[in-house]
Amino acid sequence: MDLSGKSYKAFLERREALKKQYSPEQAEKQHRKGKLTAHERISLFFDPGTFEEIDTFVTPADHPVEFGKVERTYGDGVIVGYGKVNGRLVFAYAQDFTVMGGSLGVVHARKISKIQEMALKMGSPIVGMMDSGGARIQEGVASLSSYASIFHNIIQSSGIIPQISVIMGPAAGGAVYSPALTDFVFMVNHTSYMFVTGPNVVKEVLNEDVTFDDLGGAGIHARKSGVAHMIYDDEENTILALKKFLSYLPSNNVENPPLVPDDGSAQDVCEKLRDIVPDDPNKAYDVKDIIQLVADRNSFFETAELFAPNLVTGFARLKGRTVGIVANQPKVLAGVLDIDSSVKGARFIRFCDAFNIPIITFEDVPGFLPGADQEHNGIIRHGAKMLFAYSEATVPKITVILRKAYGGAFIVMNSKNLGGDFSFAWPTAEIAVMGPDGAVAILYRKKLAETKNPAELKKELTKKYRDKVANPFIADELGYIDEVIDPAVTRKKVLSALNALGNKWVKVPERKHGNIPL
Amino acid sequence: MNARLQINKLFALSSENRKFSFRVPLTNKIRIGKREYTVRLKTDEKYGSYILWKNRRYPVEIVRSRQNKYEILFNDISYVFTVETPFSLKRMKMINTGRGKSRHESVKAPMPGKLIDVLVREGSPILRGEALVILEAMKMQNEILSPVNGTVLKIHARPNTNVMKDDVLVEIKTE
Repeated sequence: MDLSGKSYKAFLERREALKKQYSPEQAEKQHRKGKLTAHERISLFFDPGTFEEIDTFVTPADHPVEFGKVERTYGDGVIVGYGKVNGRLVFAYAQDFTVMGGSLGVVHARKISKIQEMALKMGSPIVGMMDSGGARIQEGVASLSSYASIFHNIIQSSGIIPQISVIMGPAAGGAVYSPALTDFVFMVNHTSYMFVTGPNVVKEVLNEDVTFDDLGGAGIHARKSGVAHMIYDDEENTILALKKFLSYLPSNNVENPPLVPDDGSAQDVCEKLRDIVPDDPNKAYDVKDIIQLVADRNSFFETAELFAPNLVTGFARLKGRTVGIVANQPKVLAGVLDIDSSVKGARFIRFCDAFNIPIITFEDVPGFLPGADQEHNGIIRHGAKMLFAYSEATVPKITVILRKAYGGAFIVMNSKNLGGDFSFAWPTAEIAVMGPDGAVAILYRKKLAETKNPAELKKELTKKYRDKVANPFIADELGYIDEVIDPAVTRKKVLSALNALGNKWVKVPERKHGNIPL
Repeated sequence: MNARLQINKLFALSSENRKFSFRVPLTNKIRIGKREYTVRLKTDEKYGSYILWKNRRYPVEIVRSRQNKYEILFNDISYVFTVETPFSLKRMKMINTGRGKSRHESVKAPMPGKLIDVLVREGSPILRGEALVILEAMKMQNEILSPVNGTVLKIHARPNTNVMKDDVLVEIKTE
């Protein structure tokens, strides 16, 4: 090649022009908002020197009508490419707020679509780092249609490759549906927002004053709406957590999750487990203490921690193998199943099922939350999602009943006849149609009304019920659970069950798709 | 282009807002004032994890870690700190300016139930995560925890009364 020739010179000039495009002033502007630039995010995320950018030099599309300004920049406000994260191939796109507010034009969208299609073809996870003002107004309907193709790609890849969105700036209007369709959403506190209509429009239409943070900040989406699964205080921690999170997931739906050797410090027989569940069934405890002791040391990564905390979901490892954990949390709302926790659980279970991650369930559930509020908002159809998800899942499913397992909630939480593979119970388990007080009140209503001292009789009957009915032994003797185990050997039992299920294979009936009660 | 973000220095920010810097990758040398010392972090079966300094063992244990927040037990004294990068430290300052105004936070009943006990008094300082009241619902005694650091402004909860969902139990003035 002629290094002084015209084409090589043009090649170099272009590279120079690109370098100039990203000025330190722009980066500083981004930093002043407490944000990093798209390049900095990419370089933090990928292993050093492994990121390969594609479509670096594309330029924005011509727009049909003269309206507003279009900057003629290389890249059109988004960086797309692939690289290694902890040694594994990952595809990514990062929107660049410094170019036309990261707005989504046709070319910008085409780049995203291209990388999505590559990720699907190569069977590798894709991560989207969003920081965009939304559709590019200047490009009109073309820009809107481009959103549609991005959504379509996400839906086509759903359940085949893990798709993760990281919101690192605004995401408004149609843009919010791109993260909403992906498997998990990370958000950064104070600097990221998601809403369908922003505070200005809300003010105009409804005359309601609401701040950015209160309308669609990370806190709101993590606690109330459940849109955001993981939130962090700054971008570095968000990206570090994302890298750790990816280590639990397989690259696609035909692979198994990567094996990460544990340090061997978790005890297969752990006597501490005997001391966590209090004898008084009205006293709460933290189910995460149990998860920590059963899983490999420090391997538990909780998802959607702040949304519906009465159900704990997350990934952990058992002898290095990824498992999904679903656990009732007696510490919050007594661990009841309600609308939010059912929806949260169902979605998590379906993710695990899609990506070959066995599900371990820790059960201590007093039942579904009663009340007009729940009934009117559809606990029936929402609770059915959880039921559907558990029953539909074909990955290994293991349940450990810690204490309460009452009524409909017992059925829902992966009971044996719903398709659960192994069902263990601690001696503290109470498996029955309902709790002692409720049962006594119904069965002995007449007797209680007639007697002189109802309180005394009730107490006596309650005790009798607890001894005779609400225990794990009847279920064990009838074969509705597999074994009553000493809490200390829980890890050992779960591990050997997992080993036994190593080659589990279920023939799924042929159909277009089931009809989960959405 | 090539905006490589290289972090070669991290900070530990203690709960009392004291700042300690250390370089990454970590070495076993620490500087105190002008002098440099060599310490070793070791783990063995007999003593657990400990720091070896001048041939003495100082036991160390991570009690809790959440995101970048750590609580460690060093020589039986507990320390709470966050690990910050130079950028996140700058960001923290940026976000904290213009804030810092105290706000009112109302703690509401998460579900209908019966109040068993009120554990705080009006005017008493409260830390995030401390129990405020005990609410019995679904036959379970639930501790209702403070979501923020602050002072108890007003207590609406009375023991042995029934509350509905979203009834205000306690008002807290945040710091």
